Amino acid sequence: MLELRPIFDAIGEFLNSILPEFWVTIVSAFGTGAIILGVASVFVLFFVWWERKVSAHMQQRYGPMRTGWHGWLQTIADGVKLLQKEDLIPRDADKLVYLFAPVVCFVAAFLAYVTIPFGEGLIVQDLNIGILYIIAITTFTVVSLLMAGWASHNKWSLLGGMRSAAQIISYEVPLSLSLIGVIMIAETLSMVSIVVQQEGWFWNWYVFRQPLGFIVYYIAATAEANRTPFDIPEAEQELVAGYNVEYSGMKWAMFFFAEYINMLTISAIAVTLFFGGWHAPAPFLDFIPSWIWFVGKCLLSVFVLMWFRWTYPRVRVDQLMAFAWKFMLPLAFVNIILTGFGIYLF
Amino acid sequence: MGLVKETTSGIYNLLLGLWVTFKHLFRKPVTLQYPDERWEMPERSRGTIVLLSDPETGELNCTACMLCAKACPVAAITIERKKDPETKKNYPTLFTLDTTVCCYCGLCEQACNFDAIKLTGKYEFSVSDKSELLYEMDFLQEIGRDVKYVKKKKAAKKAKKAAPKKDTGEKSAEKPAAKTAEEKKEDSNEEDKAKDKTSGEPKEKGPEDKTE
Ligand code: SF4
Ligand code: SF4
Repeated sequence: MLELRPIFDAIGEFLNSILPEFWVTIVSAFGTGAIILGVASVFVLFFVWWERKVSAHMQQRYGPMRTGWHGWLQTIADGVKLLQKEDLIPRDADKLVYLFAPVVCFVAAFLAYVTIPFGEGLIVQDLNIGILYIIAITTFTVVSLLMAGWASHNKWSLLGGMRSAAQIISYEVPLSLSLIGVIMIAETLSMVSIVVQQEGWFWNWYVFRQPLGFIVYYIAATAEANRTPFDIPEAEQELVAGYNVEYSGMKWAMFFFAEYINMLTISAIAVTLFFGGWHAPAPFLDFIPSWIWFVGKCLLSVFVLMWFRWTYPRVRVDQLMAFAWKFMLPLAFVNIILTGFGIYLF
Repeated sequence: MGLVKETTSGIYNLLLGLWVTFKHLFRKPVTLQYPDERWEMPERSRGTIVLLSDPETGELNCTACMLCAKACPVAAITIERKKDPETKKNYPTLFTLDTTVCCYCGLCEQACNFDAIKLTGKYEFSVSDKSELLYEMDFLQEIGRDVKYVKKKKAAKKAKKAAPKKDTGEKSAEKPAAKTAEEKKEDSNEEDKAKDKTSGEPKEKGPEDKTE
């Protein structure tokens, strides 16, 4: 078995035997942070390349082909290029806010991974308010976008920042409400317990008990991650690039990074809450390690998000708002009521 | 009722869109990976102009008759000639082609009676200095070495032999019945010209001769 938990346990024991307890805490905190950062970075590098390939093939192009086999080194080459770029700060920018916006965005994107179980026992901290924590922390992104838009002293940035604030706050409501159905059934907020309850065959997954909740969640999450068809904060054709127009070099790369991390985050949440987390779809497939199942499901979900992006056109601002408040919100409420009836009846 | 109908058709169309992009995901891309692959250029494509040489002797076919230079609408061709005192034949001492003005109309090729100049399917002649676009005779000869061509005179003779035998049948088969009078006129004009060039050619000849 290739489960990763025993490896980490062994490392922990080793650290305990050579270091005092205080230092063990410090080392394990930084260690897990570094591991998550590293793993997520690898995923982002892969996603950027993958998205370019998927979009290209959907348009019957090849996408990057020149760097390495089918251009797999393209993202790394891009990263090197971005590192060499001049770091510009607009003259009238609000310097402090301008500098901190990408950092806030980056950190907010990563904090969600504290309570996501990557596999059996592979979780940084199983908070008993896991879902609440994730909902709270992912909304932090809106602050960073607003900071970036405001501090750049550029009308396009400001418009993009305002739009993103309006959009993310609107979609946060149906998103949170759509998760309430799951919480009602699971009767817990802890991510690990929710996953454990979905054990066994795939029909135990909550997506089959909460189809409406899942649809609302997925649409709202797409909007939350600023992805097409809800990418009006960065609508290239209207706002040049939205809130990050004035950013260049590594600061821009951090925004970019955060965007793709968010894509992984919403996929991971969807998998954890609706698709059985690390569980295999059938008990006899358990011989494949749990983290592979989790990663596989996440990749599938990320692919679906890319698929959306390269299929649908962007909606207008008013359509976006109307859709959130007039359609998604009532649907989320209907879902809660139906779930309530369901729990009462069965 | 309208709302339900709209919603269902909306969902149907969203799924249809996904299906379309999914199908396209597995199609072969249409992109040509240019420096690695190249299009097969058609036989009569009008790309870079070359000077043709006799495959046996390796000498230029050009007799410096100046017809191409006169035919050229933009005066891209400059020729200077000399007469060989022994054979009494003209040969070019200078033959330059200014590709910066050439419009690749192909009139020079049509004007030449000696299979000496030809537009080829070659391209990729970008240079970093404009002066390099003035092609000299040696260069034109060099890039024309591997160009295959059918000798005009031989082809014309063949056609002449073939024409009287299967005269009417071939003509009606190859010429569409719905040809306008204007086109016919053009045809006969061209034939007249051709007749002038190679004297004694019968007027009813196959349409393949026009390609020359
Ligand atoms: S192709 Fe036309 S423009 Fe070019 S050299 Fe020949 S006659 Fe002149
Ligand atoms: S290329 Fe042909 S037309 Fe031009 S000078 Fe030579 S023989 Fe005459």
